[in-house]
Amino acid sequence: MIKYAIRRTLLAIPVLFGISLVTFWILQLAPGGPEARFAQNTRVTPEQIAEFRARWGLDQPIPVQYCRWLGFCNPEVSGTVLGVFPSPLALIGPNAPWPNFLPTAISGADNGVFHGDLGFSIQNGQPVTDVIGERIGPTIILAGTAWILWLICAFLLGVLAAVKRYSVFDTGFTIATYIGYAMPTFLLGLLLIFLFTQPPLKLFPVGGMWDVRTIPSFGTDAYWQMLAQQPLKVLGDLAQHLVLPVITLMVVNVAGDSRFIRASMLDALDQDFIKTAKAKGVSDRGVTYHHALRNALLPAITNIGLEIPFLFAGAIVTETIFSWPGMGRLSIEATRNFDYPILMGVLVVTAIITVGANILADIAYAVVDPRVKYD
Amino acid sequence: MATLQPSIEELTPAPAPGTADYEVSLVSLNQWQLAWRRFRKHRMAMIGTGLFFAIILISFVGPFIVPYDPLSISTPIKGCGSGCPPSFAPGNFHPFGTTGGLQRDIFALVINGGRLSLLIGVGASMISAVIGAVVGGVAGYFGSWWDGILMRICDVLLSLPLLFVILVVANFIGQGKGDWYTVLLVFALLGWAGLARLVRSVFLSLRGETFVDAARAVGVPSRRIIFKHILPNAISPIIVATTLSIAAVIVGEAFVSYLGFGVNPLTPTWGNVLSNAQNYLSQGNWWWAFFPGLFIVVTVLAVNFMGDGLRDALDPRSRL
Repeated sequence: MIKYAIRRTLLAIPVLFGISLVTFWILQLAPGGPEARFAQNTRVTPEQIAEFRARWGLDQPIPVQYCRWLGFCNPEVSGTVLGVFPSPLALIGPNAPWPNFLPTAISGADNGVFHGDLGFSIQNGQPVTDVIGERIGPTIILAGTAWILWLICAFLLGVLAAVKRYSVFDTGFTIATYIGYAMPTFLLGLLLIFLFTQPPLKLFPVGGMWDVRTIPSFGTDAYWQMLAQQPLKVLGDLAQHLVLPVITLMVVNVAGDSRFIRASMLDALDQDFIKTAKAKGVSDRGVTYHHALRNALLPAITNIGLEIPFLFAGAIVTETIFSWPGMGRLSIEATRNFDYPILMGVLVVTAIITVGANILADIAYAVVDPRVKYD
Repeated sequence: MATLQPSIEELTPAPAPGTADYEVSLVSLNQWQLAWRRFRKHRMAMIGTGLFFAIILISFVGPFIVPYDPLSISTPIKGCGSGCPPSFAPGNFHPFGTTGGLQRDIFALVINGGRLSLLIGVGASMISAVIGAVVGGVAGYFGSWWDGILMRICDVLLSLPLLFVILVVANFIGQGKGDWYTVLLVFALLGWAGLARLVRSVFLSLRGETFVDAARAVGVPSRRIIFKHILPNAISPIIVATTLSIAAVIVGEAFVSYLGFGVNPLTPTWGNVLSNAQNYLSQGNWWWAFFPGLFIVVTVLAVNFMGDGLRDALDPRSRL
């Protein structure tokens, strides 16, 4: 089991490298770039731009830039092999014999992803890790709330529909899930905004995460102080802002998941051991909720693990519609501004979460189902 | 001269007309006919197929019939002068109403937008089906390092938030003013990984079968074994996955265009019409967003029903 987990993690490393390589190349081919902001400024001379590029290493070949971005190469060493690849000398960190990618305490290097440095935003020069750190909290609050609520709803609906198969409830459930599944998130978001934020039914705010008139910005010291002093007011306001985006995120996923759970529950109810249990005189309730449900949960667990990354992708549009200050909106802003250090950072963080969730789903499956034997 | 061998008719007595045996011996169906028979019994799938083709028909024929050009500004109603309403509700000469501001006919926008949305959906799905089938086939048939490299590429594509990558690439290529075929190609070139995995798994399970060994033994070239001998066995999962991917691409295109990174906002697609409508929603003209949205939802529903029906129909074990 542990051997399997280790092998699975090791196999993920080349995939993560591949992802970073692909995204780095895609973004290098992109128009714009760090010096694009000088294009409109007539007082900046071409020499100054060249100096800027040299200072930030933008004049280096792409493999060298990639190597430095990862943290394998020492940015102080600038030789190349064949004019394209970083010279082997660059792999050695400031503390001479140690390779550059080792932790700062050993190698003395502090550049690149390996040392937790994702570069600087082109837009405002802030470190990417700071920007992402600011934005990841709101996304976790939104996506986490939606995720927990949708799992509960999906389980209740799916199991009920399976138990009451072919009933009116089941038919209504099937129709509703088909429609919910076909509903694009942005359309649902627009619909909710139109229905619940306009005069006749002005129940919820149109967007944002807090009421800017009464509550300081999320993440600032003033916000935490206010949370400590008036927790009810702050949390109530947060809940009010959460309702519409959470519903938007939930509907599509509840539709997909509950159908999946209904199907696996029906499968489980059809097994021979259910008939055996019934023949032995176990009550209907006991058979359904003890024997069948436990077996129906097994395939659902893998499915749930694989969905975690979609929380972030699905959050892109939800956060944009409801101006939620999270990672999704950050990535849209960064795309619009061609701010590719931020895009790289977002993609790397998302890819790590995705790959990690896949591994966890596989391992959880093996832990929960004793019949599954790996290696 | 009489033949030495008795004919089939002589050996098997003709069953009496009208009995069960008689009918069975008459009807022999190939697997496509059987699948069609199962598909026909799937009521929702038939309704979905009908709706889908109706929407295609409206989108491709409609623009020639509807008197409004989606991009031209319709003549304002005479006599209202400066007191004209900001937009007209459905009714009168505009079945879906008009947009605010330039008073464009929403029906014309929706059917013209549908043409591009459907083209992108169907076109991108088909191209990525071909790429996925070839990649999956090569990886599954040759194995070893072909398999290793191609499947790692698939892993990379599947581990990225695909819609986001599409959005970034579409933005870099089209700068938010892309042509529809650029968006189509971006979807096609990035969306084949799931299907490639599916096809590969079929190839892995069939690669060792006797009929493949036999074909190889008599000298059939690899290309022919892949495409003529093994690939037909994967045809039903490919058809189902491609059908369902049409729905996904239509929603994806609407999503990308809605955020302003897809097809040039001046060209009507469902996503673009919705995107324009969003800013004016607070004025109460719900019809502007409602009708393109309705068309997206109905199309996706229809395609999903069709895909479900195909899945059941093409499964030789299903007893429908």
